[in-house]
Formats: sequence, structure tokens, C-alpha cells
Amino acid sequence: MRIAAALLGASLATPAWADCALGLGRGTGWVIFSDQHLMAFRTDPLRIEVGEPFALVVNVCTRRGGAAELVAVDASMPEHRHGMNYRATIVSKGDGRFRADGLLFHMPGRWEVTFDVRSGDESERLTHDIILK
Amino acid sequence: MIRLLLLLLVSALAAGAAGVCAHPMLDWSPEEIRAVGRHGPWPPPPVQDPSNKVSGVPAGIALGEHLFNEPRLSGDGRMSCATCHQAGREWSDGLAKARGAVELDRRTPSLWNIGYFHWFGWDGAGDSLWAQTIRPLLDPREMNGGPNRAAELLRGDPALACGYEKAFGGKPVGDDERLLVDAAKALAAFQATLVSPRTAFDDFRDALLAGDRESASRYPLAAQRGLKLFIGEANCNLCHLGPRFTSGEFGDIGIPFFIRPGEVDPGRLGGLQRLAASPFNLLGRYNDDAAGNNTRRTRHVQRLHSNFGEFRVPGLRQVGRGGPYMHNGSLHSLEDVVRHYSEVSPDRLHSDGTPLVRPLGLTAQQSADLVAFLRSLDAEPPSRPAPAPLCP
Repeated sequence: MRIAAALLGASLATPAWADCALGLGRGTGWVIFSDQHLMAFRTDPLRIEVGEPFALVVNVCTRRGGAAELVAVDASMPEHRHGMNYRATIVSKGDGRFRADGLLFHMPGRWEVTFDVRSGDESERLTHDIILK
Repeated sequence: MIRLLLLLLVSALAAGAAGVCAHPMLDWSPEEIRAVGRHGPWPPPPVQDPSNKVSGVPAGIALGEHLFNEPRLSGDGRMSCATCHQAGREWSDGLAKARGAVELDRRTPSLWNIGYFHWFGWDGAGDSLWAQTIRPLLDPREMNGGPNRAAELLRGDPALACGYEKAFGGKPVGDDERLLVDAAKALAAFQATLVSPRTAFDDFRDALLAGDRESASRYPLAAQRGLKLFIGEANCNLCHLGPRFTSGEFGDIGIPFFIRPGEVDPGRLGGLQRLAASPFNLLGRYNDDAAGNNTRRTRHVQRLHSNFGEFRVPGLRQVGRGGPYMHNGSLHSLEDVVRHYSEVSPDRLHSDGTPLVRPLGLTAQQSADLVAFLRSLDAEPPSRPAPAPLCP
């Protein structure tokens, strides 16, 4: 699996990405991308509370606007080298839309969320930091 | 001059009459004020547990209080829930190790604010308060009531049968296991009403957020310094967070694992195993929440090797009135607890990254300040009237 550093993106739009529902990331969510994939996501509920379960609503596609799959979602606190006490499950909603349920951050601080995505033979990991106060 | 003296005298008398004792105020940064604010407001809204049909229902709470004090639920008819969870001892027993039919390996946890947790017991083997309540009823080492005792009592005692009918809307005619669960749900409904009183800290927190320096300055200076340590340098609020001063999750804080030579308490690791095996967990047929929205934690929790030796983070309200401390009652006083965190061995904690628990190396003054802050989370609870008859 290729490891790609995540880049925080602005709300970008080009004709090649037109089929990827990046609007999910605008305002209340995030858009991240690599050389291969684009992904937009938001949390449900929008405000994450320490110790309360939440879900991630995710749209993912290739940079050419092709189909991509969200394979796994996890999170950890790199400074403390521990993960969540919970394992998220992923449900596909079709057309590159996914819902990852069952996440829970049990401490305030910096959490690194990892998204394993796949399209054809290409797999990679996108990451995004969430600071929880 | 005489006028001024008279004015000062009147002011002093007025302050004394109102019980007001002002202290100097430390400077609080906006970030610190936000951090203090996250430990309130208090009290929280009443508990509503969707897995329990009598949660918050007055008749269910009344039945639960009677059952809580009912020794006939135990195998020998001599022990009730109230034997270990005593109102006059902060809903615990003051012992280092709980004493049921035999002495146990862990301390009796306080029931203050218990209804707001999501995991129950030191090892989190229960995912609802009612499921957790079943364990001591049946455990041969504790009340040893057996699986039929609650049902026999609910059917055979006219007052309890009447209380059951009021709470559950029908006579106690179900199978024994169903009636055991219903008894536990009534017991849970009662326990969830045990909300600790407001404290000096709450008054300070509210005044600080409101910018009311006069009211805030009634909070002792030592407690202010201790609070600054708690939310700052000592990072206690990484785990003791929110209005109840707990994440409700689990941690290893360097208390020895061994309960006897060659025998360890696996803590959360064992609790998760028991949770998965329990017919009373929220994934089973006794969960009253048809939508299943309250099962997310149970469905998604994972059992990790790192859970070994972890125990539930206790809330800190009323902490100074309780004790002994830690899951095994190994520390006698709050001063001992603060000393533990000041001197804990990093070698014991096996942390690869920045350790969550590290020796704080507190000075004597800092230790005393932390204790002063913790004691400001205590308050005298109002006296409890005897429970009213179930069916007068």
C-alpha cells in the first residue's frame, strides 16, 4: 500500500473532478487529496465531543473522477501512540459515498484519522488531523 | 475617621453574617476559563436510559429504592445493595476491598452520578446500569441471590408485586429471567437518581464564566492554584474531564496488577470478555431501545492487548468524602493519591510515546493545592427521607 501524506485542500473544482461530490467538505467538512484520490468528509454529528460516538460521512473518487472505495477508517493519537478503543465499520451508500460508524475519541488532543482508499490496483492511505478540545 | 471605622465594622459584620469570605483571585486566561467551563454546568439533566423502560419513571424509581434496601435479594437474606453502597458513605462502604459473601479483589465503587456512565464496573463488563446491577445479585462471591430469587420476591411479596405493577404496567408473571432483568431495571432507575450536590467548585466555575469576580473570589486560593495545576501542568483533565471529571473510559495509571502472588487482575481486558459473553448486554433481547441507537459502543468496542490492567476512570465529585482510593483500595487518602501521581514509576507504565501518566514531581505546596482543589468538589448531600410505601 502506498502511503501518501494528506494535504488539506480548498474547495477545488475542475471538469475532471466534476463527478466527485466534494461539496460535502465545504463549510463544515474537509477535502483531502493525494496524487490518486480526492476525498471529502464531514463528521456526524458536526461537533465531536470527547467520549461520544460519532460517524464520518465520506465521498471518495479518483482524481480522474473514477470510482474509488473506502476500505478502512481508523484514528490514533501519535503523541501518545495509542489508538481508539473502538473499531469503525464502513457501509457503502453507492456512487463513492460511504459512512464510517462507531468512532469515539476518548481524550482531548490531536487525533490522526486515517482513510484507506482503493481504486483498481491502487491503494493508499490518506490522513487528516482533528484537534479535539 | 470614626465614620470610616464604623463603615468597615458594618461591612465586616455584613460579610460575616452572609458567610462570605473573600480570597484573592488568581489571573485566569481565556483558555483557562474555557477549560474550567468544560467541567460544568452542574447538575446535568436527569438520566434517561432508552435501554430501560422504567428509567426516569417515578414508579420504577420507587420500586428500585425498595429493592435496593431489600436483603431478601441475597442468598442468605442478610445482604442488600445498601450493605455495600451506603448513603452515609457516599454510596460506597469505606473499605479498601468490597466484602460480599467473601472479600473481593476490588473496592466498592461509589454510586454518585452512576447513571451518566456508559460503561459500568471497574472493568466495564456492563454496558448498561441494569446489566451491571444483575452481576452482584447473582455472583456467588457477592449477594449470591441465584437466578430465581428476584422473581420469587416480586411474585410473592404483595407490596413489591404492587410496586412492580405500577412500574411495569402488569403483574409480575413473566419468566424468572425477565423478572430478574425488570428488578435490575428498577434498581438502575433508582441508582440513576443519585446525583451529587453542587459544590464550591461549581459556584466558582459559574462565577468565573460570568465574569463575577466578587463571587469567584470566595473560592479559596489554594483550590484555585490546585485547579490551575489540574487543568494545566498536571494534565489531570485529559482523563478526568467534563462535568463529572471522567472520560468514562479506561486507563492504566501504574497500580500493581497483582492481587495475590502469581495472580493478576486483567481489568478492562477481562471486562470486555465478560461483556461479549453476557446475555444481558445491549445487543441482547432485554434492550428496550427498539431502534438500537444505544448499542454503538457495544458494537464497536474492540478488545486490545493494551486493555490489560486498565480500569475505569472514576469521577471526582465527592471524592474527598470517599476513599480508600483506586480500583483496589490500595491508597488510603487523597494525599496518597496525589503522591502516587507525583512519584509514579515511568518504567511500570510501558509507554512508547509521550506518557499520559508521568511522575509529576510536585512540591509539597503543589500537592496541598491539588488536594485543596479536589476537596472543593465535595459537598454535604441533603438528607434522604425514608422511601414512601409502594402501595399505601
